[in-house]
Amino acid sequence: MSEPVLSVRGLEVTFTGGGRPVPAVRGVDFDVYPNEVLGIVGESGSGKSVTSLAVTGLLPETAKVQGSIKLADVEVTTADREVLRQMRGQDVGMIFQDPTTTLNPVFTIGRQVTEGQVAHGQIPAGNARGRGIELLREVDIPDPTGRVVQYPHQFSGGMRQRAVIAMAMAGRPRLIIADEPTTALDVTVQAQVLSVLAKRQADTGAAVILITHDLGVIAEVAHRVAVMYGGRIVETGPVHEIFKRPQHPYTVGLLQSLPRIDAAEERLVPIRGQPPNPARLPTGCTFHPRCPIGRDRERCRTEDPALREVVEGHRSACHCVEEVAALLADTATPARAPATVAPQAAAAQAPLLAVDKLKVHFPIKAGILRRRVGWVRAVDGVSLTVNAGETVGLVGESGCGKTTTGRAIMGLIKATGGSVRFDGQEVTRLSPGELRKARRNMQYIFQDPYSSLNPIKTVGDIVAEPLHIHGIYEEMGGAKRIAELFELVGLPRTVLGRYPREFSGGQKQRIGIARALALQPRLLILDEPVAALDVSIQAQIINLLQDLQKELGLAYLFIAHDLSVVRHISDRVAVMYLGKIIEESEKTTLYETPVHPYTQSLLSAVPVPDPDARHTRRRIVLEGDIPNPSKPPPGCYFHPRCFRASDRCRVEEPAFTPYPGLPTRTACHHAGPLGASS
Amino acid sequence: MTGYIIRRILQLLPVLLISSAGIWAMIYAVPGTPIGALVGENATPEQVQAAIQRVGLDQPMLVQFWAWLKSALVGDLGRSIFSRDPVFDLIMGRAPATLQLGLGATLVGLILGIPVAVLSALYPNSWLDRSLSGWSALALGVPTFWLGILLILLFSVELRWLPSASTYVSIFESPWGAIRNTFLPALTLGVYVSGIFARFLRASLLSEMKADYVRTARSKGLKERDVVGRHVFRNALLPFVTVVGLMMAAFIGGTVVTEAVFTYPGIGRLLIQAITQRDYPLIQGVILFILVVHVVINLMVDVLYAYIDPRIEYS
Repeated sequence: MSEPVLSVRGLEVTFTGGGRPVPAVRGVDFDVYPNEVLGIVGESGSGKSVTSLAVTGLLPETAKVQGSIKLADVEVTTADREVLRQMRGQDVGMIFQDPTTTLNPVFTIGRQVTEGQVAHGQIPAGNARGRGIELLREVDIPDPTGRVVQYPHQFSGGMRQRAVIAMAMAGRPRLIIADEPTTALDVTVQAQVLSVLAKRQADTGAAVILITHDLGVIAEVAHRVAVMYGGRIVETGPVHEIFKRPQHPYTVGLLQSLPRIDAAEERLVPIRGQPPNPARLPTGCTFHPRCPIGRDRERCRTEDPALREVVEGHRSACHCVEEVAALLADTATPARAPATVAPQAAAAQAPLLAVDKLKVHFPIKAGILRRRVGWVRAVDGVSLTVNAGETVGLVGESGCGKTTTGRAIMGLIKATGGSVRFDGQEVTRLSPGELRKARRNMQYIFQDPYSSLNPIKTVGDIVAEPLHIHGIYEEMGGAKRIAELFELVGLPRTVLGRYPREFSGGQKQRIGIARALALQPRLLILDEPVAALDVSIQAQIINLLQDLQKELGLAYLFIAHDLSVVRHISDRVAVMYLGKIIEESEKTTLYETPVHPYTQSLLSAVPVPDPDARHTRRRIVLEGDIPNPSKPPPGCYFHPRCFRASDRCRVEEPAFTPYPGLPTRTACHHAGPLGASS
Repeated sequence: MTGYIIRRILQLLPVLLISSAGIWAMIYAVPGTPIGALVGENATPEQVQAAIQRVGLDQPMLVQFWAWLKSALVGDLGRSIFSRDPVFDLIMGRAPATLQLGLGATLVGLILGIPVAVLSALYPNSWLDRSLSGWSALALGVPTFWLGILLILLFSVELRWLPSASTYVSIFESPWGAIRNTFLPALTLGVYVSGIFARFLRASLLSEMKADYVRTARSKGLKERDVVGRHVFRNALLPFVTVVGLMMAAFIGGTVVTEAVFTYPGIGRLLIQAITQRDYPLIQGVILFILVVHVVINLMVDVLYAYIDPRIEYS
């Protein structure tokens, strides 16, 4: 192999600002070579982002860096500010997570894309505009001449991230560090962005470090993988080895806690406990409190294992590496019997929730007199049912109206038209008082466990609040009931008097669930309940939701963008696009035999955590972005991006009708399984 | 943008109507009338009655208000009860002086305040930051009348460079004369407001420094000077121009104490004089003027927003 572009040895980063020093990175070694993608995987607090900031010399001054980082010919740990500045942009480029915040809102895209090269004297300021156009063209942005003078808010999310790639690649750096580059993007856009990144890498021969929590993305693009935990690399090797023959219990745990889009597992196997807090790391092997092998072993508790080679090129930091293979075999059989609640039996009765042609339109106002000039059709005729004890998944990309649907069902947003019947009662025309009563049976769980809990109340008071609001605190059993609720969601009753800030993300979501359950509802509307959580914690919450459903006979409307999670938890799934449901079916049918071209593209865009699938899976990469819901295209809303679109689709809107031979309903003139008509 | 400005001006009418009604109610709530001062202590009841009729104070309150409002709409704010001069002329006689002082003070405040804020934000919590924060606290804490007197002692009494009592000289007629006469009161107000400006801008810059785009700018290899001076500064301006607009409006609406110290012929002194004489038409006129100044400057700030931040579109 040629010389590495980046060579990191014995890297240690300690934050010293105030109080005890916090070790964020504790002895990390790795190399990255030209034309290679090194994937770094880890959960929050694993030290993966700190490592990348150390490489570029962008850590704050409170961080103490030891060891060696050799990038191109620069020793980053000892170089002065000016040398590091010269290095950034010329030798290393960075791509960050959220393209809505990484671009400066007040400067044009063209200026931001070329500014680095101007600062390094690579191009004269007078040529910046021409260069900007060239760079935007290289990342496939349509109409680069017109786009170069626009501002970030005029770009869609996917185009912004492509502009960020153009920016990072402008000076043709030898190393690109991409820190969660697609986490904030929708799957179809993620696919576009990853392919642009791969193309630009092939053009320039750069080395890429891809930092992500998403094992699917890693399997899709990485050549080698480093798994980080507690500030160290615990396992590293070629991507096939890591996925097929993982040699560390943590890697095994990650793979098992992941719901998969290409398989129907009965129950996830989460990793117990929480990821460690860098300020309070466990002794010995940092993973031992969560490890199925080493939890009770003296050696694991006291001695931090070294990273040593197991097979050639494949290294693991585990004392009991020879026992890891058995972990994999253990879980080949399902850990629990399949669910016994039969939705079919429930379906015979009237559905618990029946939504019919629900519409939520928001007015657009303009002009001197603020007259209404149009409507944003956020939800435009959605019909769905949820039976008692059943989970219905509602999926779609951002802006498709899935959250607005959920809120309109709850009565949090007023419906413009259509009906919502809950347990036979029409709820859209209830007075506020009646609606409050009806809501006792219907509860909403929000995405963000960090902001949905009032920080100045104890968690006990937070969970008790709904009971007080409805004046039934004593009637429902008072403090005893609250303690029961905490036990129900897997939290000890000793935490009742604590405040939300003392809890981790997963624990906060448990508290949110306990609050929703306080009124003994029959339906929970869950809006992205696990999207903000780490993989291992996500599995715990999903399992909790499934257990609660079985125990309490709850019905769920599960709103999410993550197709794998939805497949795992749902009985039936509805796919939304631009305010409409375009396909709805029983879970397995929808995932195995989708008939709508949008569903087919969406499913094909989801990265699968299996490196072999890279070459075998068919990929439909959609062109363009989701249209603006205030100006939907005529005919079928999907036709501008559809690979089956015909003249009929451009003028005539398809009806939502049953598809023959399958338990599916769809809205498409050319519906049919893949391969049948394309 | 033009449509937006027209709409804003239309929205201004009800605001002015409601506020002027408020101003009326306020004045009638204050005990005492101007008649006593007008006719003198030895006036007979007949003379008092005649004076009341002459200035229209015997009419019902609503009638008085309606009459005033009708004329105000065409620029006639009535006549001063004492000097009998039109109120509009009295205000316009003072407005240029006040405008010149207000703009001068704001300019001094920006010249002193912005560099202090930028230096503080470049090296937060350093000894430099601390001493500059100390300076802002001092600028805010020293009463303006005290600073004004100190400046007069230094520049007029000791050095004999500048006049101790300022008169209004228009900058368009005699730039040097205008600067000589406006410098001391503008410096007095400017030092004070530079403390406010520096604190606001520093806080705004420091919160912007945490934004993601700052890390992006650094990762491109920009000089720290450009990261702060261009990327951060422009974003930090948004909350800052609001404060600058508020202070400028306050200055143009009159600064009673500083005008008094320098015997400067501004709106503030006119208002005080009107209040002590209970000159109702003049009080109403001046307050209306101050109100209009605030509304117009707010509108200017909003329009400026759109130039600073391309995301803001007024349609």
